[in-house]
Amino acid sequence: MPDDMPAPHFPRVNAGVKVSRPERAKYIAINIFLVFHLLAIACWCVPIDSPLIPLCRNLVRPYFLWSGLFQSWDMFAPVPKGANSYIEATLVYRDGSRKTWTFPRMEQLSLTERCFKERYRKFAESLQRDEVDDLLPDAARYIARSNSSPGNPVTTVVLIQKYSFIVPRPDGVYVPEPWEQHILLGYGVQPQDLK
Amino acid sequence: MRLRSAVRVWDEFFFAKESPVPICLFRIIYGALVIATLLLLRPDWLTWYGVHGWVSLPTALKLEPGNRLNLFAIIPQSDSWINALFWFALGSAVLLTIGLFTRINSILVFVFLTSIQQRNLYITHGGDTFLRLAGFFLIFAPAGAAFSVDRLIRIRRGKEPTVIEARRPWAQRMIQIQLSLLYFVTFLMKIKGAPWLQGSALFYVYHLDELKRFPVPNWFFKPIMLKLGSWSALALEFSLGVLIWVKDFRYVLLTLGLLFHLWLEYSLNIPLFQWDILSAYVLFIDPDDMVRLWRRFVPFAHELRTQDAPAQTARGLDG
Repeated sequence: MPDDMPAPHFPRVNAGVKVSRPERAKYIAINIFLVFHLLAIACWCVPIDSPLIPLCRNLVRPYFLWSGLFQSWDMFAPVPKGANSYIEATLVYRDGSRKTWTFPRMEQLSLTERCFKERYRKFAESLQRDEVDDLLPDAARYIARSNSSPGNPVTTVVLIQKYSFIVPRPDGVYVPEPWEQHILLGYGVQPQDLK
Repeated sequence: MRLRSAVRVWDEFFFAKESPVPICLFRIIYGALVIATLLLLRPDWLTWYGVHGWVSLPTALKLEPGNRLNLFAIIPQSDSWINALFWFALGSAVLLTIGLFTRINSILVFVFLTSIQQRNLYITHGGDTFLRLAGFFLIFAPAGAAFSVDRLIRIRRGKEPTVIEARRPWAQRMIQIQLSLLYFVTFLMKIKGAPWLQGSALFYVYHLDELKRFPVPNWFFKPIMLKLGSWSALALEFSLGVLIWVKDFRYVLLTLGLLFHLWLEYSLNIPLFQWDILSAYVLFIDPDDMVRLWRRFVPFAHELRTQDAPAQTARGLDG
């Protein structure tokens, strides 16, 4: 706040100044709004171990989820991702043929493409999180729809996570580790999935 | 501190009238960033939000239960409606940026942005989250009080003087607090992780192939540099979360923060993230300094001058 600003002019009854009832009500309402949001946001996102915090979070959860005020600030924290990874899908067609489909990989795209396709990186990262496993069948269905033709639909989608650990060395040199894989989902495609 | 003086500090912080120029500049930057976010999403709009997109609406609702502000769950499930929602969102963002029907469009932009994120939370990054949160408090701010079509109309109709009126900055303060909290919580989360304390965190970050943008010089990867980098990031995030409120440190920290985000923008591919965060830096610039800067470049400009707050007439909480 600038030093030469005039003194604040509070709508509170102050120094004998008369304040109308609606003004006073508005002032009180704004203060309640401010106090509530400051406390609620702090309880929601500040990582403090206190029995009061979960209680507070549960109280404000319905409002925060509805209004979109939920938040978490944990970029590269507490531990940055320790492996390079990507997802590919093995597709099996009705005629028995196979195809490998890979999510757009940022490192293989041009600078412009990376701007537009960066959401794929985030989505692929989400697909690898255990707590949102329910995303995997939807992803399998989308890949099946995108790669089917009426005469030769995809019958099976196998989603595979490929990963290569990042291992720090004392000399600071990075040597890529071999790629390993983990099957995320095997999905049998139903005819209604392709509609 | 006695209760009375605490109340006085609170009042001064949230309610002492000051120039709305910073929040109005923020509105323009914010609107431009929402437009940019939407345009980057446009080629894959139906892929992410369409009826046959990656994540179906029932799955999204199952994974994120509860009542949520989500227009996608209300509109008819057809791609034409979902496309229409894009154009409405873009239109609102443009109107907010130019400051036409500012209040209504700040509400609409917040509703659209929240809906877009609620529909598919699995593709959003921290910058999107910050835009959503800042958008909420922007609704309550006098965002059309300067640099807006609304203001030009009011001046033409004789309803507003040419000098910008001082306003109560409580909504602006909430966006500022949200930004400082972002940094402080990130700092608290990072110090829970051994790699940040040991100084090896950046080794991992800068070897994630998917995040690389422009080449980083080899000297940066020397262990001592990575340690310094990791610890500097921690120190800066703590400072931007806490010390930013100390006026004497503010501009130094804003400059360091700017350089920090520009470096991240250069080296990491997370489109718009850095700009989303940097957008709120303008709220920490003293309006008087803005005026001084403006006058230096536009010597005959008067319109940034802010009318002094009127005497104790309790003219209303119009901000």
